[in-house]
Amino acid sequence: MKPIKGYSRTALILHWFLAVSIFFLFISSWWMLGLPLASAEYRFREIPFQLHKNLGITLVAVIFVMLYVRFRHRPQPELKQMVPSWINRLASIDHVILYVMIFACCLSGYLSSSYSGWGTTLWWVVDLPNWGYENEELNILYSDMHLWTCWILLAIMAVHIGGALYHAFRNDGVIRRMLHL
Amino acid sequence: MAIPPQGTSRTCPGTEAVNTTEATGRAGALGIVAVLLGILLAAWHANEWMKFVIVGTPPYTVATMPEPDCEEDELVEEGLSLTECHQLAYAVHDISVSSPDWFKSFHVAVSAAGTLLSLLSIVIGIALVDYRQWAATAAVSVFGALAVLDVVSFTAVVNTGPLIRQMYLWSILIWFSIHLAMAIGAVVQRQYLRATPGLAGT
Repeated sequence: MKPIKGYSRTALILHWFLAVSIFFLFISSWWMLGLPLASAEYRFREIPFQLHKNLGITLVAVIFVMLYVRFRHRPQPELKQMVPSWINRLASIDHVILYVMIFACCLSGYLSSSYSGWGTTLWWVVDLPNWGYENEELNILYSDMHLWTCWILLAIMAVHIGGALYHAFRNDGVIRRMLHL
Repeated sequence: MAIPPQGTSRTCPGTEAVNTTEATGRAGALGIVAVLLGILLAAWHANEWMKFVIVGTPPYTVATMPEPDCEEDELVEEGLSLTECHQLAYAVHDISVSSPDWFKSFHVAVSAAGTLLSLLSIVIGIALVDYRQWAATAAVSVFGALAVLDVVSFTAVVNTGPLIRQMYLWSILIWFSIHLAMAIGAVVQRQYLRATPGLAGT
């Protein structure tokens, strides 16, 4: 096993923060959509929905910081000769789609929220301006987009995790680029 | 960190040879599984924490609950039937009606401890992949603690009502099996490292 110079510590922390946050968003969204519809008497959805939106907005910011860090500090190339070329191509495509889907999922969610008429207060401090006005059709359109981009994101994440497990079980040193202290 | 050369073999006292590639491979496999499951478990525990804080004690009972607001456009938007919309209001009570008084605070505490241990298991998993010698010992403690937490949780949930039991017993049993397997894997890894001083890096 050769020592491999990996991603920077900042990229590493951001990557694992993203991972935990995204899974939290999935798990919590499945639960919170089972809460009673919001009304004057039923206010159970308020905190989970605000948290969901805030975390999503934060993830977009984190993605941009992560991309900046990622391109500023390029690790050594992967061991391309050790795996079939189609796996390398799949990994590259998967990474691009992964970033695009995280962004699309967060953006469609925010747009859906903007057209729903429900406001967003960033971490319960700053009231964010709505991009749209209350419009049921656009709300449903972006809500559907949010749903499907997130399902695609989950599928792409499965490929991403599958790739990490593949390299881990091969013990070829590739995952040590994102798993080092 | 000193990485042992590939394929180096050392002799364990009284047993067969230990291959360093095999030892790093096992640590790497255990580490990546710890990271992956740590992420999922941290998210799950954090959600449990939030769930009990939000609906652990509803402001009304089943008898006094207000009529849920099930407007047609909302039902279309959420893809719900009218019956489902009413059922959502009832389902909020699943936790409170099936929980003894002590269970809410207990479950919140377990979820907080579980979140912390899960985040620790991510760090331990990274250290295992990075082949740090201390990681194996730390892994035994953290994975063992997670298994113990599952046993404590299971015992507590057994003493609640049927709604809580059907919600949690099966998932706790699965997590316990996983944590037991990982703790034993970490024990084996630690035994290899102790039997071959100098095999690992820092």
